[in-house]
Amino acid sequence: MAKVTMIEAINRAHAWEMTRDPNVVVLGEDVGVNGGVFRATAGLQEQFGKDRVQDTPLAEGMIAGMAIGMATQGLRPVAEIQFMGFIYPAMDQIANHMARLRNRTRGRLTCPVVIRMPHGGGIHAPEHHSESLEAMLAHHAGLRVVCPSSPARAYGLLLAAIRDPDPVIFLEPARLYRLVKQEVADDGQALPLDVCYRLREGTDVTIVTWGAMVTETLKAAETLENSGVSCEVLDLATLSPIDHDTILESVTRTGRLVIVHEAPRNCGIGAEIAATVAERALYDLHAPIKRVTGYDTIMPLARLEYDYIPNAARIMDAVRETLTE
Amino acid sequence: MTSFNLPDLGEGLAEAEIVRWHVNVGDTVAVDQPMLAVETAKAVVEVPAPFSGVIKKLHGQPGDVIATGALLVEFEGAKGEASPANSGPHHIATRSSHGSGDAGTVVGNMPTSDIELIETAHAGGSAHGHTNGNGHAATSTAHASTRAQADGRIRAAPAARALAKHLGINLAAVHGTGRGGVVIVADVLAQSNISTHRTNDSAAPRFAGGERLKGLRRAMAQSMSLARDNVTNCTLFDDADLHRWPEGQDITTRLLRAISMACKAVPALNAWYDGDTQTRLLKSRVDVGMAVDTPDGLIVPIVRDIGARTTAELRHDIDRLKRTARDRTVAPEDLRDATFMLSNFGMIAGRYATPVVVPPMVAILGSGRLSRDVIAVENGFEAHLRMPLSLTFDHRCVTGGEAARFMAAVLGDLEKDT
Amino acid sequence: MYNPPRSRGGPGRGNRVLKTVAEFAIKYCQFLDASGNLAAAAPPLASDTDALLEMYRFMTLVRTFDTKAVNLQRTGKLGTYASCLGHEATHVGVAAAMQADDVLCPVYREFGSQIWRGVKMSTILTFWGGDESGSNFTAARQDFPWCVPIASQMLHGAGVAMAMKIRGEKRCSVTYIGDGGTSEGAFYEGINLAGARALPAIFVVVNNGWAISVPIEHQTATKTLAQKAIAAGIPGVQVDGNDVIAVHHVMSEALARARRGEGPTLIEALTYRLSDHTTADDASRYRDPDEVRQAWSKEPLPRLRAHLLKLKVWDDAREEALKKECAREVEAAVDEYLSAPKPTTDAMFDHLFARPPKSLLEQREQARRYAGSSGH
Repeated sequence: MAKVTMIEAINRAHAWEMTRDPNVVVLGEDVGVNGGVFRATAGLQEQFGKDRVQDTPLAEGMIAGMAIGMATQGLRPVAEIQFMGFIYPAMDQIANHMARLRNRTRGRLTCPVVIRMPHGGGIHAPEHHSESLEAMLAHHAGLRVVCPSSPARAYGLLLAAIRDPDPVIFLEPARLYRLVKQEVADDGQALPLDVCYRLREGTDVTIVTWGAMVTETLKAAETLENSGVSCEVLDLATLSPIDHDTILESVTRTGRLVIVHEAPRNCGIGAEIAATVAERALYDLHAPIKRVTGYDTIMPLARLEYDYIPNAARIMDAVRETLTE
Repeated sequence: MTSFNLPDLGEGLAEAEIVRWHVNVGDTVAVDQPMLAVETAKAVVEVPAPFSGVIKKLHGQPGDVIATGALLVEFEGAKGEASPANSGPHHIATRSSHGSGDAGTVVGNMPTSDIELIETAHAGGSAHGHTNGNGHAATSTAHASTRAQADGRIRAAPAARALAKHLGINLAAVHGTGRGGVVIVADVLAQSNISTHRTNDSAAPRFAGGERLKGLRRAMAQSMSLARDNVTNCTLFDDADLHRWPEGQDITTRLLRAISMACKAVPALNAWYDGDTQTRLLKSRVDVGMAVDTPDGLIVPIVRDIGARTTAELRHDIDRLKRTARDRTVAPEDLRDATFMLSNFGMIAGRYATPVVVPPMVAILGSGRLSRDVIAVENGFEAHLRMPLSLTFDHRCVTGGEAARFMAAVLGDLEKDT
Repeated sequence: MYNPPRSRGGPGRGNRVLKTVAEFAIKYCQFLDASGNLAAAAPPLASDTDALLEMYRFMTLVRTFDTKAVNLQRTGKLGTYASCLGHEATHVGVAAAMQADDVLCPVYREFGSQIWRGVKMSTILTFWGGDESGSNFTAARQDFPWCVPIASQMLHGAGVAMAMKIRGEKRCSVTYIGDGGTSEGAFYEGINLAGARALPAIFVVVNNGWAISVPIEHQTATKTLAQKAIAAGIPGVQVDGNDVIAVHHVMSEALARARRGEGPTLIEALTYRLSDHTTADDASRYRDPDEVRQAWSKEPLPRLRAHLLKLKVWDDAREEALKKECAREVEAAVDEYLSAPKPTTDAMFDHLFARPPKSLLEQREQARRYAGSSGH
């Protein structure tokens, strides 16, 4: 047991699985000698060698495409895209091939690939380094999209992702990489995919969120508790497919739903959750569903970054609205 | 005196170790002059002076680990910076924190701290219960069932909830008849004794073989429902003795003239009334809606400004309206905004009626079939031509006295010879 | 010089089976070596003291600006910054050969080119300080902003050149890319299009040896990056990127060719990234300090200074004066940057569309209400 940051947890999950399964290979830009620009893969090349931890040439489409080829040959590639904003050149490979290979070949060829990348903003990074594009990926059938919000879940969900026989896009909230430490047993235990994680029990309102917004939401919930509002907080964790059952069970108890995500509002995953709850639990709602999201603008640079990202004040106001409408 | 704190050196570092100072207390330093070297994770970084000044105090010795944001150097009389280096409009936000370990990144300022995350996390979904790192067992999930009530929470359509709140009805007292016992709007209304005049367009016809009303009939159904719900109808009956009338009187134009006179005498019956806001608007002009019976149903075209028209003009207009009404070519402007209504059902049959006031009007006059009645006169009996009249008024805003005076004025004019 | 291998036939068949159908050569250009010695056949620029002094002044200014920018970052006044230390000759040489109405498509490091073309130093700082108005240049208004998605700027340069060609203009686009960028698909797409359509596009590959931590030997199997031009059927030439005379010469020839309608050129400028990739990178993790020391001995400023000294148009006093002048200019730019007001939240919304949709205006309202509420 040790107290580790999310980055360290990710690093350990790599090391564990690469030891256990010789087919796991890591590839990406600067992942080998440099250990990754966030040090997620630090020390792995020393430990496992240059064939299993590869510094690739600079080309995201190449990274995604070669991972597919390698996977069909029985390897388990864990590829890094340096920042989510750079995923676009890889989208042709991800959408047209990675997501479809099993379906198109009726299971003859499959694609057990993990593509991991830093997700979201809040670190005052330059342009294109702060994107939250999960809705775009979730809209592709055949892809799983996973987003941990704590070192423990980063460790367990990454192991699950690597072991999963199908492609997983693994989004790591950059703002959380080193924010806190947590006791995480380096025991190779995976956590389940496709389920929400209830982080706080409550009776007055259900708040569904993920990624770096989990931290803000828990802060808001704590403050609201002091004024007598009991919030139930669910970490979505697997953004696609969504665990609607857990959300519905919670909303039927609380009667109120607030969804919080950093990604822009329009057609965000919050809309999918809201639509499903409206379809299946409308009569249990005591107030309209609220979404607290990034604006429908381009993620601004550092000067305005924190005016864009949803904060505890906005979350609390949304909760209060569900209680007073 | 100004202070300089250890800035976030761009790698999201929580701290750095002092390697060596390049300056001493008392030195005058120029802006950007290297002041000290600090070691971050495996790199030695030179920290320059943020402004010019004289060093007053140095905080930390070589080997000391300084947290990001902690005080590093104090200056006397610093030039070029009025405020400490870490504040002001261009301070790229850093976090003061205590952390350790490698914190590399090629971009940005990554927040770090030594805060330990203690959390409990229950994996949702009964089939996937799992313990998290803190050793809590997952709860099994009760799935949402179609129960009407559970734990005191009532399942109700959002519109039903809103209506109940508006009417001050306790949802718990309402019996839900929706699927699964859900409380729907009709249930709330049933509780409140208000029936809705709004038609439910999507409901199926109640009687097999029945047809949904369309067009004029439907409009009448809706209009009458509205009238019944809102108007307080009261009807006054009387008869006009027409024995002084010469031959060939135009009954309809005589009626219109009588109505015009009566509206002058008692303006309260030529008005619009809104029950919701209890607002009444007296109308100066009399526009009479004349009920016309057509095969398709009731149409009410309007004869405008009857007080300003000659009999011939009125007759001409009435004929035009009757014709266009029967052809269904009547223009929308001719159907709108009547101030008074006349129903001349007597042309067909019927003596007295309780005609229905159509809001926003406040009165309607029904004239029945003319007949020769035997009436008592001073010296015996005579047969006089008489016209039965039924005046319904909205008693919310018209008094009985006003209605009676109106009737008196109608009779007074009708009973004249011309 | 690139010598393609002689073709071989099948086992025992020799050259009688395969015949050479195309042969290529890659040439290298240098006039001023690392010690400041001028080659015999140097272009007129080598003795044009006015022009050289101007270039030296700008290179010094850029060096001063770059050093200050790093210091600003180190004192918490600038966000992450990509230093151009060591690239001054390439950046100034390229820009000095361009016309004002040519269009530049940079990566994110070519401040020398941009400052030469009139982009204000305070503007550059504004961008790296986290404000998008730093991309709203006050000069060179058609130049592209900095491009973070690697190599995507190649297509922009090609497209700009296409417009120029359609209109029959004697203008050119000049697009920068790094050595790492030549691995991206967009690089090949850009040079291919430019070649296939004979576009007036110059592509300058700044080979500084490193793509963050990946050295050039690990990036590609080619001996030069200039030879990638062969794949696109366009001329490729290699130049000593630390020799401003050579850079200027090669650029001038390429631009003249393009203006004559003879199509694009790929120029590989050999230099070295003397700094970290950005201020938050730590190159000592992956680079040999000897290699860095070696590279310093070849850096562009001293050799030009030595040449100017030989031409007797430079001395220590002028050097001091220049340094002071550059320091003053940079200080003024820093003051301007630091005293600029912070953008309001409206700035997030006001530049998305020419006609903002109603829903966006509603969000703009909300953002105003919550301005500053995060405490950051």
